[in-house]
Amino acid sequence: MFSEWVNETWLRVKGLWKRPQLDRDLNDEVAFHLAMREEKNRRAGIVGEEAHYAARRQFGNATSLKERSREMWTFVSIESLWQDLRYAVRMLLKNPAFTAVAVITLALGIGANTAIFSVINGVLLTPLPCKNPQQIVAMKQNDSLMNVIDIQRQMRSFSQGGGINTEDMDYTSGPEPVRIRAALVDAGFLETLGIPPMLGRILSPEDDVKGGPQLVVVSYSFWQDFLSSDPHAIGKTIALGGNDYNVIGVMPAAFALPREHADVFVSLWVGYPEAAPFRGVHFMHTYWRLNPGVSLTQARAEMSTIDRRLAEQYPDTERGRQKIFLPLHELVAGNVRPALLVLFGAVVFVLLIACANFAGLLVARAAARRQELVIRAALGAGKARLIRQALTESLLLSIIGGLVGLLLANWGTRLLLSLKPAALERFNGLQMDSRVLLFVFGVSVLTGIIFGIAPAWSVARADFATSIKEGGRSTTAGPSGNLLRKSLVTAEFALALVLLVGAGLLIKGFSHLRSVNPGFNPQGVMTMRLQLPATRYAEIPPQTQFRRAVLTRLNSLPGAQAAMVTDIPLGGVYIAHRIVIDGQPVPIGAEPQVQTLSVMGDYFHVMQIPIRAGRDFTPTDREGQPLVAIVNEQFVKEFFPRSNPIGARIDWIRAPHPPLWMTIVGVAADVRHSGLNQPVEPAVYAPFSQSDEPWRRWMTLAIRTSGPAPGLLDQVKQHVWNVDRQIPLSDVHSLVELMAVSLDQERFNMSLLGIFAALALILATVGVYGLMAYTVSQRTHEIGVRVAVGAQRHDVLSLVVREGAKLAFIGIAIGIAAAFVLTRLMASLLFAVKPTDPATFAGVAILLAVVALAACYIPARRATRIDPLVALRYD
Amino acid sequence: MEQFPPLSVLWIREGPSTKEKRENPGDLLQGTLDLLILKALARGSMHGYGVAEWIHQTSEDVLKVEEGALYPALHRLELRGLLSAEWGISDNNRRAKYYSLTAAGRKQLAQETEFWRRMSGAVARILQTA
Repeated sequence: MFSEWVNETWLRVKGLWKRPQLDRDLNDEVAFHLAMREEKNRRAGIVGEEAHYAARRQFGNATSLKERSREMWTFVSIESLWQDLRYAVRMLLKNPAFTAVAVITLALGIGANTAIFSVINGVLLTPLPCKNPQQIVAMKQNDSLMNVIDIQRQMRSFSQGGGINTEDMDYTSGPEPVRIRAALVDAGFLETLGIPPMLGRILSPEDDVKGGPQLVVVSYSFWQDFLSSDPHAIGKTIALGGNDYNVIGVMPAAFALPREHADVFVSLWVGYPEAAPFRGVHFMHTYWRLNPGVSLTQARAEMSTIDRRLAEQYPDTERGRQKIFLPLHELVAGNVRPALLVLFGAVVFVLLIACANFAGLLVARAAARRQELVIRAALGAGKARLIRQALTESLLLSIIGGLVGLLLANWGTRLLLSLKPAALERFNGLQMDSRVLLFVFGVSVLTGIIFGIAPAWSVARADFATSIKEGGRSTTAGPSGNLLRKSLVTAEFALALVLLVGAGLLIKGFSHLRSVNPGFNPQGVMTMRLQLPATRYAEIPPQTQFRRAVLTRLNSLPGAQAAMVTDIPLGGVYIAHRIVIDGQPVPIGAEPQVQTLSVMGDYFHVMQIPIRAGRDFTPTDREGQPLVAIVNEQFVKEFFPRSNPIGARIDWIRAPHPPLWMTIVGVAADVRHSGLNQPVEPAVYAPFSQSDEPWRRWMTLAIRTSGPAPGLLDQVKQHVWNVDRQIPLSDVHSLVELMAVSLDQERFNMSLLGIFAALALILATVGVYGLMAYTVSQRTHEIGVRVAVGAQRHDVLSLVVREGAKLAFIGIAIGIAAAFVLTRLMASLLFAVKPTDPATFAGVAILLAVVALAACYIPARRATRIDPLVALRYD
Repeated sequence: MEQFPPLSVLWIREGPSTKEKRENPGDLLQGTLDLLILKALARGSMHGYGVAEWIHQTSEDVLKVEEGALYPALHRLELRGLLSAEWGISDNNRRAKYYSLTAAGRKQLAQETEFWRRMSGAVARILQTA
């Protein structure tokens, strides 16, 4: 039985490509038979034509017999599929406009959606590179090592936990001093993330003690770059920050920190023993692993009791501090989440519009071809055959659209990642997601199937006779098909309006943001960071000496003015201290916190930050002189709302010392230190030379030049290295660049939503244009009659435009209502714009209306050119 | 010149669709035609016309086959591997397709013949008793 089946299938498969041969053989065989029979008939005495016809009669219906044999020899279903496909391709080629619009619509829908979905998927759903990441929670606030140790001891909810603080260090074992990023951690930190080292071991609790051995675990990239991927790197000695460290471990390439970047890991006790014992130095990011079965809520509850205990024991530093835990993922992706969710919504809308457009196109086409379908049905095409034919066409379209979409998706994902908003940077594994592509592709194929079959189905059920009779004169595909198309176009306009409003709001917010005054003049200012190694610059005097020497040299450069500050605005960081104000007593633990910036040189002049009251620092404000400070306007607003701050005295809080009062000598204008869309915080500027905090060993140079200054960087390097050959320069930026970077996230949001809105607008326009163009062509006869009985040009024009405009306006109205509800969801992305900004709503509505009218006008004008004589003969 | 068959029940036609036929392998009429073809070819290879002629002559025109119906049957048997076919030149120098029995075809013929013997014997006995 089986071998028979194999044999038969094989012959049939052979039949597939030997088709012409097969036909010839069949014909020959039948012809031979007929010829033989005819000859015999003749011999039997039948004369002339009759011999031939008798032979034919005896044979029977040769065509149908041949057909039956043919069916036997080949796979009929495959053959007819092939036939359908060829027919479909012919039809698509015959209507290039239709095909192009359908394919582009689908490709845009599929491509854009896949690209965005991939990124969203990657950011929101991809697990972080650590063991069982769902067990890990992060503390929202930073904390000190002492608190970390107490929490590790007291919390029952956590199995492990640890903290990390990153800072710059100099690596001086190479040919040039290099600035690297060092992680100061406790022994629990790497343990908690749970990724084992590739080589060697990680820090143990025995290493992590005061006066412990100088050991270092290095990252994979450090191992590659500076240890030349040496498999025997363990045990080597490297110089970091002026000290020798022993390499004990190398982390694998896949290892990445949740929020930070670090090249090396050293014990906080060893790498920064000055800060380690201070409970008030809240500078570590901390991560904790929940015990199995312990919920986040339970952990939070337990933490709050520990918080209370700490506040009682150490009121100076711990009162009023409440520690909040977040799932690690939320902390990492949290700030991009709202933007991505809005984009996600936009993407869904574009997909819907694309599908609606595609569906509309298919419906219109089916209507135009209804006559053809009806005739084919009347000639005996089965229902299944008709549907299969329709399906073949729409599936073919879907697949072509899908393939082009695949290209777009691939390209779009790369484009998105190349825009590189800073917030996406740590998700370096992002790429096009094939599951996403399949899903989106599936949606469009489904659209193709549903809207491809429906018309054939309705024809297959129709009464042929009526259809054919009516066909010649009927205006359209019947009311139902038209209603469907109209609803689709209306829906497209509603969706497009929502997207356009969203984009409009973002654009408006962005332009507000761009016009925000940063508080300084960024033009022509170059910045770079320097860090002094602890070994040779442990005390303030050598630090001051170094700074003065560098500034003196830099200010001797022609056309350059240089100053320095601890942290440059928009650089992303600053130090905050709590302060007390002389004469304004507050309870312990409730002291206000302010930005503290140390400066040297003519900082306010170089940055062009205006001094609003009092005076600027002068060269005489230096060590040994009365302590002075300059505050910003926000500081005055908060702490001296009704009195003059000049002459008032302030001090950093610190328990052991007697107060070291600084006198406020001036008020500087506000600077947007943390970003253009961030509120200004109260700030205190004090001279570096009067600082008593020797751990502030870093500084940022700000150098203003009057014109373009090529080679400036090299000159600066030379001058710095003339003072100290081992100081690396890092983070070289212009302030203009920092301004642009600080707008990255917003620009990213705006451009993406803008692209989507533009897509939506184009698709909706194509939709209404297509519908009206089709309606006009279907109503040629009717319009011809109207013109013949005296309708004027503008009557015809308004007849068509009114019909299209009605759909667009209904869509716009629905869209406004929907946008009113939906734009609230993006409030957090908007800067100084209300989500219901009336100007944006009105502007977008008008834009859409104009576009819709224009799209209707073209077919309407065509309608006015209809010649009644031609039109009446049209059918 | 039409000759009307005396036994209309043996007027052998192909059914409406081969597919349907193949789903009912026990079909008497089709089985009959197949058997006649196999028997015709048992004497050696022959073209379709020859098979038709042989059936006419040996049944003394009692069995009237609509000649066209022969070909789907021949092709079906070929597909099933009971016949093999090759193209050759006929006596009058025409290109013709010659069919011959395969081993499987011979076996099938033997089985079918046996079946018919038993069947016709049974029918004959039934008719005698009546």
